[in-house]
Amino acid sequence: MNELSILMHLLSRKITTDKIGASEDEILDALNLKTKNKSIHFQHLIANLSQYIEKLGLQVRYNPLDEHWFISFEQDVSDVISANPFESQPKLAATLFCTLTCCFKNSGSCTIHEISELRKKKGLRDDLKVLDRKGYITIDKKKDQVHLTPLIGYELDLNALFTKLALKLKEQ
Amino acid sequence: MTEIKEITEILDERIEEIQKQVISGKINLLDYELAPLFTELKNALNMDNLNNSSKTYKDACVLLNQKFDELKKMLSTLDSEQKFIDYLKSNPKYEEITQLFNGCWRKVFKIDSMSLSFLEFSKNKLCKERGVSITIEHLDKVFSDDEFLLEIPERNFTEKMTAFFNDIQKRLPCLFEEIFGKEQDQAKIYELFVYLLHLLQLGKIKYQKETNTLYI
Repeated sequence: MNELSILMHLLSRKITTDKIGASEDEILDALNLKTKNKSIHFQHLIANLSQYIEKLGLQVRYNPLDEHWFISFEQDVSDVISANPFESQPKLAATLFCTLTCCFKNSGSCTIHEISELRKKKGLRDDLKVLDRKGYITIDKKKDQVHLTPLIGYELDLNALFTKLALKLKEQ
Repeated sequence: MTEIKEITEILDERIEEIQKQVISGKINLLDYELAPLFTELKNALNMDNLNNSSKTYKDACVLLNQKFDELKKMLSTLDSEQKFIDYLKSNPKYEEITQLFNGCWRKVFKIDSMSLSFLEFSKNKLCKERGVSITIEHLDKVFSDDEFLLEIPERNFTEKMTAFFNDIQKRLPCLFEEIFGKEQDQAKIYELFVYLLHLLQLGKIKYQKETNTLYI
């Protein structure tokens, strides 16, 4: 067993539905890296692992929502194997998009009222319940609030999504 | 020939070094000038080193693409929040939003069944201490004047199963859960379930797993 095999194990493990892979601290701890240059060593390990698994159609990714490193199939493969969990559910995808925008505006959570301000469509609460069941959000009924779980950060390239939107709006 | 080959090799090494520095976060491609790299490559190009140069050119273009991506990201962060909100308030069509998602979904790679934790769990399960084997103690015979009767079913198994089949066939097709009707007694449900298994085995009833439906 070497450092890369331990990294491979840590980054491909599913802890809970919305927790996959490992944080930098967990990785450093598992590898017993305590030196001054541990962060540089960590970067090298990630870069090396990335090079190894690239040939298998895999990529090392980072989830900014819970600061976890994990492994995903590269974009082309993801497109082919249909990674989209909202295939044929455009209404739900639209609600998710509004929820994401609202939550990011307010550091990860927002009220249902704020979402309904953006999305004036019927059935918003039903959509939110479905998103809750799917594990993307949690609904705090008492405060009428919605919280994002880290799951969406694993399944969706948030940076790419908002870059696409920004470019689309610039074109208009 | 040797000199030119060396130039492409030097450029390859430089590209590799830039990539490493980008990955480790030492440099940001937006601050790095790539033009001299392309100029040197252009000057070194001739018929003899076409193969090597084209590979170097391809690698340099990867860097350039990354730089474009960085630029896009930077542009997207500038004054975009309000624009996003205004856009969503304009009630865009579902298809429009779905299109934005295209190419952004990614499939997470998980290998739980091969993971160390799974192996650890399996090892612990296998290595668990077994309880002491049970010794059978023979009972002493006791004579009693009481009479004990062994309960014998009123009808044999096939008759009961056929009666169950006749009862449910009017309800078919139906969901698996609905087949036991309003029966609450767990022992009775278990008995009916055994009949159901036999009927499935005999092919009198069929089951579709995808829809959880029983049908004839």
